[in-house]
Order: sequence, then C-alpha cells, then structure tokens
Amino acid sequence: MTQSAQSPEHAPQRLTMDAVRSYGIHLVLLALIVVTGILSPAFLAGNNISNMLLQAAPLGIVVIGQVLVILVRGLDLSVASVMATAAVVATSFSGQDSDAFPVFLVAMAVGLLTGLVNGLLITKRNVSPFLATLATMTLLQGLRFAYTQGAPSGNVPPIYRVLGSQTFYGVPYNLMVLIVLAAVFSVLLNKSTYGRRVYLTGGNPVMARLVGINADRITIASYVISGGLAAMAGLIYSGFVGIVDNWVGRGFELDSIVAAVMGGVALSGGRGSIVGGLLGAAILVVVFNAVLMLGMPIEFQIIIKGVVIIAAAAVYVRKAA
Amino acid sequence: MTSFASTFTYLTKRRGGLLTVIALIFVLVVFGMIVSDKFGTSSNAINILEQSTALALVSLGQTLVIITGGIDLSVGSMVSLASVLLSGIANGDPTMMWVALITIMAVGVLVGLINAGASIYLGVHPLIITLGTGAILQGITLLYTQTPIGKMPKGFDELAYGRILGLPIGAVFTIAAFVLTAIFLRKVPLGRYIYATGDDAMGAQLMGLPRKKVLFVAYGFCGLMASVAAIFLVARLGAGQPYTGQNFTLTSITPVVVGGTLLSGGRGGVIGTLMGVYLVSLLNNLLNFLDLSSHYQLIIQGLIVIIAVSVYVENKKRV
Repeated sequence: MTQSAQSPEHAPQRLTMDAVRSYGIHLVLLALIVVTGILSPAFLAGNNISNMLLQAAPLGIVVIGQVLVILVRGLDLSVASVMATAAVVATSFSGQDSDAFPVFLVAMAVGLLTGLVNGLLITKRNVSPFLATLATMTLLQGLRFAYTQGAPSGNVPPIYRVLGSQTFYGVPYNLMVLIVLAAVFSVLLNKSTYGRRVYLTGGNPVMARLVGINADRITIASYVISGGLAAMAGLIYSGFVGIVDNWVGRGFELDSIVAAVMGGVALSGGRGSIVGGLLGAAILVVVFNAVLMLGMPIEFQIIIKGVVIIAAAAVYVRKAA
Repeated sequence: MTSFASTFTYLTKRRGGLLTVIALIFVLVVFGMIVSDKFGTSSNAINILEQSTALALVSLGQTLVIITGGIDLSVGSMVSLASVLLSGIANGDPTMMWVALITIMAVGVLVGLINAGASIYLGVHPLIITLGTGAILQGITLLYTQTPIGKMPKGFDELAYGRILGLPIGAVFTIAAFVLTAIFLRKVPLGRYIYATGDDAMGAQLMGLPRKKVLFVAYGFCGLMASVAAIFLVARLGAGQPYTGQNFTLTSITPVVVGGTLLSGGRGGVIGTLMGVYLVSLLNNLLNFLDLSSHYQLIIQGLIVIIAVSVYVENKKRV
C-alpha cells in the first residue's frame, strides 16, 4: 500500500534506473559492434557475422541451462565436461547418419544423468553447487579418458557436421536450434508454473517452501535441463570442430557463467533472464572476434575476458544495491 | 555452558573427520604394501612427499581463504605466472635469483591483496573476482612467454632434491608451514577472527572484528603460498612453464574439502588439509603402482570429493 502511494514521486527516477537495467547490455553490445566496425570494416562483412553466429550458438545453448541453474542459486561447472563427453559419444558409433539418433539418445542420457546427480547431491546432500558440479566434472572427465584411452577416434555423423558448421543462406543451422531452444525455455520460464517456481525458489527459498513449492524438485529440474542442453551443445559443437578430442568445449563452463553474469543474471539467484544471458554470450563472442579483427595478440582475449567478468559483476551489484 | 557444549561438539566432529582421513591413509598404505613390495619402501615415501610439496602449499593458502567463506580460483594462474617470472628473471644468474624470488613473492601477495580488495570494495563474490583475476594472470603469463623460459642457477635444484634429516627439504618446509599456520589459526586473535568472519560475517562485523584485515591477510597469504609453491615446482622442473599451474586451481580445493574444511566457511583447519594432500598424493602414487593410467586418478578424485562432501555436510546439519 505505502509503496503504491509513494510511487508517483519516484516514478521518473525509477524509470531511468529500469531503462539502464533493462537496456544497458544492449547498449554495450551495440557500442562494441559500432566501434569495432569503424576500426575494422571487415568485422561487419557478411561472412564474419555469419562466422560469429556459428561460434555463438553452442555457447548460447549452454548459457540457457546455466541461466536456469543460476536462477535457483546454483552454478554448473560440469557443462564443458558433458559437452566433451557428448562429442566423444558422437564419434563412438559408425560415423554414418543412420547412427545419428542413437548418438543423440546416448549423449542426452549422459547429460541428463549428470544433471540428475548434480541436482541430487545439491538438494538431498546439501553439497555446495560448486563442489558437486566440480566432482561430476572430474568424474566424467576420468570416465571419458578411460574410455578413449586418451585419444578419441572415429567420425562425427555428417548430419551433425551440417548442423554444426553450415548455413542456410547465411543463417547457421545451429543458430536456428539455439533460437528454438531459447524461445521454448523463455516461454517456459515466463509463462509456466515451473518458471514462476524457479524465480521464487531462487529469489526467496523460505517463501517458496511456505507456499508449498517443492524447491528440491525445481532445483533438480534446472540441473537436469542444464545437463541435457550441454549434451546437445556438445553434439553440435563436435560438428563445428569436426575433429573430436577430449577437450571439446573446454572453457565453456566459465564462459557460460560469465555470459550469464554479464547478462544480468544474479549469482544470488532469482533475478535474470535467458535473453540477458544470450546477450552476454553475444558480447563475449564479439569481444573475442574484435581482438582478432583489430590485430591484437590473442592473449588479450583472456585478459579482456577477466576484466569484463569483474566489471560486469561490479556494475550489477551497484544496481542491485 | 552452551558455548562449551558447542565447542566440544565442534572439536569432536572435526577430530572425527580427521581420524577418518588418517584411517583411510593407513588403509591405503597397508593395501599398497600388499599389492607391491616397492610401495612400502622409504624411497617411495620420500617420492610421495617430494611430489606433494607444491600441492600442499597451494592448498594451505586455499584453506585460509575457504575458512573465510571465500574461494580463490586464481591460484593456478598465479603458480604459472610466478614460475615463468622466477626462471625468466633469474635466467641462470645467481645474483638475479634473489631479485626473482623477492619479485614473485611480492607479486603473489599483491595479487592476493587485489583479490581481497576487489571483493570487499566492489561487493562482488570472490568466486567471480578470482575467476577474473585468474584469466587476467593467465593472459599476462602467455604474453610474457608461450614456451618454457629461462633456467635456474646451478644448485637451485638442491631445493627439490636436497635432504634435511633424510627428508626432502620441501616436505620439511611444508610441515613447518602447516604447523605454524595451525598455531596462528588457534592462538593468535587474528587467526580466530578468520574463523569468526567465515562462520558469520555479519556477526563478526557487528562485534567489531576487522573483516577487511582478515580478508586481506587470508587472500594475501594464499597468493604468497602460490608463489612459494612455484619456487619448489621450478626447482624440480628446472624452468618455468606457462601452463604449470593450470591444474592447481581445482586440485587445490580437493584436499581442503577432504580434510574437513567446509566451503561455506567458518569450519575446518589446515592439519586436515595436510592429511587430505597426503591422502590424494598417496592414492595417485598407489594407482601408478597398480599400473592404472592417470585417467582413473580423475575418476577416483571425483568420487573422493563426492564422498567427502557428503560425509561432512551431514555432520554440519546434525550440529
């Protein structure tokens, strides 16, 4: 009551704050693109944009899952390991299109099961998300190494090659997959009961329990989804890189967290959106590409990433305060 | 009375966890001696001690940070940077060696202070801050060199292969560092404040405990230990390599957790960590004897973390 009475006075100020909060990341992305485009016109060439989108899609798919997990106050470090394992699975069959579906099933099983173990450890055993997903990450890595004896061989089914590395009149197929997945999960998050429960579980666990939400189930669901999406991203990424090694997707665990944080998803849970996370991923890809386009040493990618992580997190903390 | 009771429970719980780890070490030793007659030899024991030095030192710093309720994900990159700087600056010149040693220790402390300061003044969780500084340090390391660089003056490998009373110098140094830190944590007020800050940051601040100082000390110490670990690594390997430290970031957390320090802060101790380091090193050594490839070490390490955290978390819940 008191709040609604006060709101007219504060409305303009709140409006600007809201605008900054909602569109700040759009502006950053736009500024990056414009500045890099001016400094290096090749950056805006059609095939470079197409190339960036091709690279962005697998990361974007992982980010969707990471956002769901962070929304329930979690963190998923196992995504890169799931990706690599899915990629190894992709090469473990005949390498023909006839095996594309079995590959998909086995890879998904790995991803979903990893997510389930993560979720169970975190909810039922009260293990911190960092450690639980670190442990499954290590475990999966060991299993993968033991299975491949260090050097995976075999071919990725051609259909995954198409999905991961080819375009349809300049629009990458993997981008289409990302857009469909992002749309589905955005709707799920914003319109379904599950979505509202995710926000409440992450934003206010006590309240969630009081209104009768089974917070454990919601949390587990988020990790299972994240595992499944990581497996899908792994399959698509194996088609992008073509040659599979044990480290496909290395660095994606941290990049996906960074993207989510840059996109305004709060590590404390309950705040943020999939679109925000995807914009964060876009910024990362643009920054990486810009470093190359501007002829800087490639090590600057890592350094800039580090600076961006800290700066973005600091900005959002200020806004929340 | 209540506080006495809770202190009592706290101590028995911690000692209980420690006893479990020591019992596991004992079981592994017996098992190893049954499996191979070379396992139980003193040369193998010395070998294990030698190999565990760097991990032990990094984990020591990590323990203090984790007790404050934080985490340091920049240690791996710090080890890499320190090791290339050390052999790069010294480059075989004994007079430059001291400059190099002092430089890398100063850099280590500085990075730790930056981690703490950024976390305090930006109000961002140390997980994100140290992730960021870790990336920056790795980038700087690769800008400095992409291949093994420089060499240490003659006789520097004495640090790795020399003996004090028959024990490797590194092992003696490690044990001394752990014992001193344990005494600091128990007897010195600042040491107690580290626990208080990690257990209940708000409460500690309300009581007027110096939270900022505690964080600066813990992270500064952690950075310093990463540099010291790099010294022993370079002594063993002969030259600094830009990816030397990569694995330390996450492997340094395993012994801490296995030793009973909770990631949520306020509980645990360095002696548990030392036992955790020996347990992990012993296990890796044993797996080598069993002729199992290093792939299985990862599986076992993952399982150990899962089991350890499950056990300890259960304990905390009951308390």
